[in-house]
Amino acid sequence: MIKALGYFIEIIRGGLITTRHFVVNLFYHILKVLGIKTKRKGSVTIQYPEQKKEIASRHRSLHRLMTRPDGKPRCVACMLCVTVCPSECIYVEAAEDPDPEIQKYPAKFIIDLGRCCFCGFCVEACPEDAIRMDTGNVEFAQYSQQDLIYDLDKLIG
Amino acid sequence: MTETLTEMLVIFIKIVCALVWLLALTLYLTWLERKESALIQDRLGANRASIFGIRIIGLFQPFADAIKMIFKEDFVPPFSRKFLHTMAPFISFFFVAITIAAIPFGDTLRIGNRTINLQILDFNVGLLFILAMLSLGIYGIIISGWASNNKYTLIGGLRGAAQVISYEVALGLSLIGLIMVYPSLRLSSIVLYQGELLFGFLPKWGIFLQPLGFGIFLFAALAETKRVPFDLPEGESEIIGFFTEYSGLKWGLFMMTDFMEVIIVSTLLTTLFFGGWQVPWLASDGFHFPWGGELLLPHVVVILLQVAAFNIKVFFFCWLQILIRWTYPRFRYDQVMDLGWKLLVPLSLVNIIGTGIIMTI
Amino acid sequence: MQERANEMIKIFIDEKPVDAEEGTTVLKAAERAGIHIPHLCYHPAFPPEGSCRMCLVEIEGFPKLELSCSTVVKEEMKISTKSERVVEARKAVLEFLLAEHPLDCPICDKAGDCKLQDYYYEYGLFESQFKETKEKREKKLKIGKSLILDQERCILCTRCVRFLKEVTKTQDLGVFHRGVHSSVNIYEGTSVENNYSGNLAEICPVGAITDEDFRFQTRSWFLKEGESICPLCSRGCNILIEYHPGFSRFELPNRVYRIKARENPEVNGFWICDRGRYGYSYLDEGRADKIILNKIEGENVLTWENISEYLGEKINSMSSAKKTSGIALILHTWLSNEELFLLHKIFKKDLKVEKIFFADLPEGEADGFLLTSEPSPNRRGAQEIGFDIKAVDLSTLADGTDFLLAFGPFLSGLFSPKYLKGALSKIKRKVLFSSYSHELNSLFDVVIPVALIAEKEGSLTNVEGIVQGFQPALEPPGESLPEWKVLCDLGKELGMDSKFYSEFPSPETILSEMGEKIPFFKKKND
Repeated sequence: MIKALGYFIEIIRGGLITTRHFVVNLFYHILKVLGIKTKRKGSVTIQYPEQKKEIASRHRSLHRLMTRPDGKPRCVACMLCVTVCPSECIYVEAAEDPDPEIQKYPAKFIIDLGRCCFCGFCVEACPEDAIRMDTGNVEFAQYSQQDLIYDLDKLIG
Repeated sequence: MTETLTEMLVIFIKIVCALVWLLALTLYLTWLERKESALIQDRLGANRASIFGIRIIGLFQPFADAIKMIFKEDFVPPFSRKFLHTMAPFISFFFVAITIAAIPFGDTLRIGNRTINLQILDFNVGLLFILAMLSLGIYGIIISGWASNNKYTLIGGLRGAAQVISYEVALGLSLIGLIMVYPSLRLSSIVLYQGELLFGFLPKWGIFLQPLGFGIFLFAALAETKRVPFDLPEGESEIIGFFTEYSGLKWGLFMMTDFMEVIIVSTLLTTLFFGGWQVPWLASDGFHFPWGGELLLPHVVVILLQVAAFNIKVFFFCWLQILIRWTYPRFRYDQVMDLGWKLLVPLSLVNIIGTGIIMTI
Repeated sequence: MQERANEMIKIFIDEKPVDAEEGTTVLKAAERAGIHIPHLCYHPAFPPEGSCRMCLVEIEGFPKLELSCSTVVKEEMKISTKSERVVEARKAVLEFLLAEHPLDCPICDKAGDCKLQDYYYEYGLFESQFKETKEKREKKLKIGKSLILDQERCILCTRCVRFLKEVTKTQDLGVFHRGVHSSVNIYEGTSVENNYSGNLAEICPVGAITDEDFRFQTRSWFLKEGESICPLCSRGCNILIEYHPGFSRFELPNRVYRIKARENPEVNGFWICDRGRYGYSYLDEGRADKIILNKIEGENVLTWENISEYLGEKINSMSSAKKTSGIALILHTWLSNEELFLLHKIFKKDLKVEKIFFADLPEGEADGFLLTSEPSPNRRGAQEIGFDIKAVDLSTLADGTDFLLAFGPFLSGLFSPKYLKGALSKIKRKVLFSSYSHELNSLFDVVIPVALIAEKEGSLTNVEGIVQGFQPALEPPGESLPEWKVLCDLGKELGMDSKFYSEFPSPETILSEMGEKIPFFKKKND
């Protein structure tokens, strides 16, 4: 019974907390509507398309492939990213490079962003630092799934 | 002959007014829910719906929602009982909407020599009518769950039925004390009784005469609305509910029924425990303050004050219910049943006995 | 493996008593006891060389660490393979090997199979202490018809040199120069051109010799292995088929990426020929995966479930005399022992069909080692079962024949299409069991896709009369299924000895039945 009473008191307290938030936030909203500037705001909402939040330096955004000084992809098609990718969204096809110091380069490098879960494992696994997720681009939504399949040109460019 | 016609016209106008009031309030309750929850959670809430670039804090959102719902595909699953599947939301909607008929919005309005009751129908068993209609509403849930021909919806419907029937008992029992105090089932009479004064200054509102009854009724009524923390039949995100197989406007009807139940519960709480349209110390000719002062007002002003008071009380309870919905987590099923059968029903019995003892003394 | 059973002696490896044959080496004795001693240059096919120094072990009573690959066991020898000294020595050896080994793992085809990589992962994991730059050498040297040598990756284990010296006896490769400059190279004016060159890439413990056929195709850890028997000649070499199970989102053109030798001392030892190694395209190219219905009357759809019903009905509707002369059969010797046995039972024994021909690829040339002149795996089996192997004679075949049941795609290679078409057009009903979509298919009423040796269960008899069982390594594509199933069902449909056919749930049971009927298969079914 006493325990039940304790619950009851906590229930009331919970209600009071939400009521306090309601009243306080409403107060600041009304002040804003009246044109009075206050330090505190009624909400923490970021009005997204107009306002944008700064992306954290370690945020994982759209992938890009790094290039060698001469513009060739740095990737050597070792397929470690293919191996480690948990959503199996990377496909690499290797080809023979005439330069014996490079030997192997990716003839095809496809990332299906529609399936990518942005875990960043490919970046972690890459032995050549050839793939990075630091473009800061998070707005690449498309109307068709086909447009989300990025190939070598799109990833380098 | 003209008398009957006028009578019918008046009733027709009353019905239209009451329904428009109910539906408009339902529509804006969705807006209120969004905004209130946003304020509670330090957000802004829906504010994007605009007409010609005018947003005014998202007030057009309900229309946007309605338009979206109308144009959504009305998908009837091929494996369902099509007729019943279509009927279920209408059954739900109908039985909730009809209860508004028994709610008194104000005192009798006098225009010339004609008196108009601000209530669609003044039943002598108004309270029972409302309880009966609310109980019938459960058919909509059961039928929707069964007609969808889906195991999950069926189980959701059964959960809903079990919950609503359980709390129906507590709901009915909690009102018996009230009926003992105001010896009438006629809602207009109950409201009139509440205009009297207790100890010369306190209005004889149900909350003062039946505090325990009020508490029980509040809980039971919350459970009847099937909203959080009692949303087991539906469980939007986790446990699959009875209207899983509905989409578009039919789903919208279920949603509207939900909000209408909130309004009906608010009107009931107002009417039964908070003096209905009564304003404290306001008689039909003006204010008579217990400390001796008087403020006489014209009849129309008095009626307007009463209707306004009724509306304010209803709004308050709508606000309170939304606050509750956005404060508490959902009960577990056994907790719901425990609360209903082991706490509310015995308490309401205690309430009846206690009321009886006090009244005999 | 051992030619004569030597006396067993008792030794202790890591304080565990182990029985070892007298005269064997420590490494072999340990392997037999399930204890792996790291080694790079030692290969069971060759005498020990002792150049890599990875297999050092500590033996009680010896002042220094000993090479386990060349030390012969003695009674009561106490060997430890995991002591601190041994591990320390392995680490040091690895460090020296890796001092000149390039960091090529991302682009090296051996990565994943590489023993040096495995040992580094197990024992090494150190930071390199060497500040000197690594020696520059030839990175892409073509040394044979499909082999590429990377001298930087080579650890000079000389497995390749010894292979060419002892197995093929061509001696195309040698170690040139001395000290840090020593490297494997081809002798001037030669190149590795023999029929067993593919084995070099397989035995190379690192990625120094890579196969052009497999080069950069995929990574070895994607591949799965399936055991099978090579059907490309009658030797019946044991092979491993390495196939890619595929990616969920991206379609691959082929399933099979390479073939490796599977050790079997009785048949092929450790080796397979290049024909078997590189000739795996038959597994993926031009496969038929759907039942083709060119001309059938009455029936709507044929599936694997009712194909035997269809065949049975056609045969049953013939008179018994007509069955003998009106049915013709074209077989081939890629069929397993079990399938040939069922065919023999149904058509030769029960129906007494006279016109049974064999259509196989024309004979090739044997190379004197593994490759035989018969380009099909089960000719010996067909003979032992009791078939008289007759080449196809089209005029006899078409004469008075109403119903032709043909197996295999080889018929088209034997005759010109025009001639073939003319002969076959005289036959009323023609059914072909084939694994390939081929223009030959258009000449038949019904073409039923069947599984290949790599995709079914059964047994084959090789040229020496060794009966070898095999299990499916791959999934048959599309609707293809093995022939023995339809033959069992057909046997039941014909109703002559239906109890007999219903006793076979698997090829294994057929083989044991064969053992009872034919003495040849009795002793050899294992």
